[in-house]
Amino acid sequence: MEDFINLILEPLKELFLKFKVFVPNLLAMLVILFIGILLALVLKRFLAKFLAAINFDSWSDRMGFTKLMRKGDLWSKPSATLGEAVFWLLIIVTLMSGLNALQITAIDQLVNQFFSYIPRIFSAAMILTIGYLLSGFISRTVLIAAANSGFHYAKLLAKAVHTLLIMLILAMIMEQLQIAPSIVLAAFSIIFGGIVIALAIAFGVGGINAARRIIEKETMPKREDETKDEIEHI
Amino acid sequence: MAMKTTTFRTEVHEQLEHIGQADIIVGIPSFNNARTIGHVVRAVQGGLAKYFPECKSVIVNSDGGSSDGTTDVVHNSSIDDFSAILLHHRVSPISKIAFPYSGIPGKGSAFRTIFEIAEVLGAKACAVVDSDLRSITPEWVELLVTPVLKGGYDYVSPLYHRHKFDGTITNSIVYPLTRALYGKRVRQPIGGDFGFSGSLAQFYLTKDVWQTDVARFGIDIWMTTTAIANGFKVTQSFLGAKIHDAKDPGADLSSMLYQVVSTTFELMETYAEVWMPIQGTEPVPAFGFEYTVGLEPVNVNTGRMLNIFREGLRNLGEIWLDILGAGDFGEVEKLGALPDSEFHFPIGLWAQVVYDYALAFHKRKLPAEHLIKSMTPLYIGKTASFIMEAREMGQQEADAEIEKLCLEFEKRKDYLVTNWK
Amino acid sequence: MSDFYQTGIITTLHQLGKPSLERLESELYGFSKVRPIALVLPSLYSEFEGPAMPGIVQELAKVKYLNEIVLVLDNASEKEFQKVREFMSPISTDVRIIHNDGKRISEIYETFARNGFNVGERGKGRSAWLSYGYVLARRRSDIIALHDCDIVTYSRELLARLCYPVVNPNLDYVFCKGYYSRISNKMNGRVTRLLVTPLVRSLQQLVGPHNFLAFLDSFRYPLAGEFCMTTDLARVNRIPWDWGLEVGSLAEVHRNYSPRRVCQVDIAANYDHKHQVLSADDASKGLMKMTVDICKSIFRTLASEGVVFSDGLFKSLLVSYLRQAEDTIMKYEADAAINGLKFDRHEEAMAVEAFTRAIGMATQVFMENPMATPLIPNWNRVTSAIPDIFEMLQIAVDADNK
Repeated sequence: MEDFINLILEPLKELFLKFKVFVPNLLAMLVILFIGILLALVLKRFLAKFLAAINFDSWSDRMGFTKLMRKGDLWSKPSATLGEAVFWLLIIVTLMSGLNALQITAIDQLVNQFFSYIPRIFSAAMILTIGYLLSGFISRTVLIAAANSGFHYAKLLAKAVHTLLIMLILAMIMEQLQIAPSIVLAAFSIIFGGIVIALAIAFGVGGINAARRIIEKETMPKREDETKDEIEHI
Repeated sequence: MAMKTTTFRTEVHEQLEHIGQADIIVGIPSFNNARTIGHVVRAVQGGLAKYFPECKSVIVNSDGGSSDGTTDVVHNSSIDDFSAILLHHRVSPISKIAFPYSGIPGKGSAFRTIFEIAEVLGAKACAVVDSDLRSITPEWVELLVTPVLKGGYDYVSPLYHRHKFDGTITNSIVYPLTRALYGKRVRQPIGGDFGFSGSLAQFYLTKDVWQTDVARFGIDIWMTTTAIANGFKVTQSFLGAKIHDAKDPGADLSSMLYQVVSTTFELMETYAEVWMPIQGTEPVPAFGFEYTVGLEPVNVNTGRMLNIFREGLRNLGEIWLDILGAGDFGEVEKLGALPDSEFHFPIGLWAQVVYDYALAFHKRKLPAEHLIKSMTPLYIGKTASFIMEAREMGQQEADAEIEKLCLEFEKRKDYLVTNWK
Repeated sequence: MSDFYQTGIITTLHQLGKPSLERLESELYGFSKVRPIALVLPSLYSEFEGPAMPGIVQELAKVKYLNEIVLVLDNASEKEFQKVREFMSPISTDVRIIHNDGKRISEIYETFARNGFNVGERGKGRSAWLSYGYVLARRRSDIIALHDCDIVTYSRELLARLCYPVVNPNLDYVFCKGYYSRISNKMNGRVTRLLVTPLVRSLQQLVGPHNFLAFLDSFRYPLAGEFCMTTDLARVNRIPWDWGLEVGSLAEVHRNYSPRRVCQVDIAANYDHKHQVLSADDASKGLMKMTVDICKSIFRTLASEGVVFSDGLFKSLLVSYLRQAEDTIMKYEADAAINGLKFDRHEEAMAVEAFTRAIGMATQVFMENPMATPLIPNWNRVTSAIPDIFEMLQIAVDADNK
């Protein structure tokens, strides 16, 4: 009889022991979550005030980030969105740390993978920001230079340059985030190579007449008035 | 006398100590001007000898690293009686690539050196002349220095005999704008040849602009504006025709526009407190015999200019809309639809355009270079319009047109002031 | 390119050729010395954070012929009021901001209420009416122009063309309404196209020829928020404070003046309004109320001119309206097709159904209480009841703007 009772009690005792070990971890996780959420809220409020103080919103308007957001149907203020993003990032970090505290190996591995991925997200964000600004700057330089020399298709050229640069940046970002890197590489090479070949064929064979007309249109006026304007602007 | 800077090399230090003191300094900045600088040096020497025999004069040639033997020519042209100082001014590598419209990289640094020498030698009057002048005569020295030495003026701006179509950037932008802002009618503020007093030279030295774009390509307009805005006594002198070596014909118009206009706009930032309260303008006295404006017909392809304007409208329309606002942009669009024979750029609209660009520059709406270069087709359109109207005009009519434009600028100044925040 | 057809009742001023803005503005500048113009801008604070206001301020900064600008600011705290003052500072014309939520102006509204005047709920009608009072109180302007603050494609040309017919002393117009085509990549302006025009025409069918209906029908865009009038009208007109504002204003003009002195002007090649109310989701709510208010306004005007409304009339009205509206949809479908605009037949039909229900509701409300009137009393009456009201209003606004 005693053995039978022991048989029932033993596993229960083991369970209880396991539970006893587990509870502090659980408590630790709950405490971490609590502190983390509190911290995230405080930080969000603080960040919102800070961004308002440095006029982040009007800077974003001028840089064109707000326009990007509006195109993506995001109608809140840029500072609010940034605050939200930071808030959720902190929540995720808190969650991960909390899960870590549970000390369950499977979860640990996941968490480690996640944390090692984060630096890549930051560098991708960096590439996106700088790349976007730079591509806008370069394409506008091309636009103005071409327009000032009277090139009829200046806007088209600038748009093409802009698109190509954006594609380059996207490819770089995807490579950073290691999203299907070999596919991205292949796709990128194919697209760029394809563009080059298409242009070559167009000008060499297919669109020879159209290409000739465009070139003639651009060079002919120069031949007609070889005589430069005889005024001095300065 | 303590040497404030390390610009002077030891030989120059020795020369300066040897000379000790001078009454008049004439500076000639140069860069690859071997063909013309000999004539300039001789004309200057002749003028100093003829008109200021009793004064002690020094000629300073500040060279930007010529490779064609310019400095040798100067050395050989100098008469022994004359103390001539030859030195090099520091030129940043960028200046040699992005060539300034004046043809002399780092011209500002050259001037700074000349100011420093003027200060060290205690000069009472100074002048600077371009090194590529073919039309300079000994009289120029007299015309630039006498108002300072004998008339008590601090700054002498030049007045050249120019063709009615020349100097359109001055005539349509810099002159009307500077006049409306600072209240003084200095007709050719970016002449290139100036006279100034020793005290003004010392004042220039107190300004810390030598590492900026002013030193690279904006020194001319900077000198004029600084003199006017700080209350120095300003006058003008009729010098005659300005014939100089044709600048590199590939000189990009939009770069020229950028260099001149960006400096002007930058100076608006510095002197905002000065120009905002000024209303109306005063004439500035002029020495010498008034010359007439050249009226010979010249070859200008206005059709091509109008094409550039229309292409600019097509391609840069969005940028212009952002800067000018819907009302004025609508007017510009209507201009674009006009046939060549009816094209006329209203002067009120042009004044508004210039002010809108100044405000856009102030608010940093676009990177400065993009902003001002985007103005090029508008400027070309305005210039073509003026040329077509003034083709048959005589001197007085052409001058009257420019006067009308200046009055438009003055009339609309309050718009600029209320929007400048 | 527009035509130059005159509808025959009121004068239509088209956009013919490419008129020069400079000439228009210099003429206005000359006229405005003799007949000074006040611009009234009813606005919400949220519009200052939107895309339209910066452009409007930039354009107004270049306008030289205005005598004063009165901006009525709704839904703004004290801090937001100060921000708006800063926002409007580039404009060199004298700008006065009426801060509806400020304590002084709230007190003014209180004054109306306790003297028995119902000036209506918060909204564009009430704001516009108060600003008329302020302009009348100051006695510095003869003409009042009004437009909204959410016009994204605003240009000085719009304002110039709006003011010109009334300001030009040789033309003798007392009221001028703007019209335009509200298209983007599809046809907008559904309430005008599918409600007002078919409704007015079906009423004409049922009631027979009627001056007011013909008058209303001759407006190309009767719901346009842009108009210009002499200050006399501001004194005498009783305007509704609900959505029937535009139609009700036209009714008052019709009542007090001859149609010969009324005109409409083409004010924009391309007009884009960021209209906040009629989003797809709560379209029903906003649309319903708007339709009901507009219908009430029309019924009331007709009743006041002797038309007898019976159950039978209303029943026939619903049927006739539906018919007219369906015909109209077909016409617009053709118009959209040739001009390459998007046209969703189903959406339009659903809108018509919603409008029909709304008209039904309006008839019920009207039958129950035909005297319920959301008309704000005119200023003549208010000043006779509260003689110092103009002075008090001036003091309040001037103090707020110090």
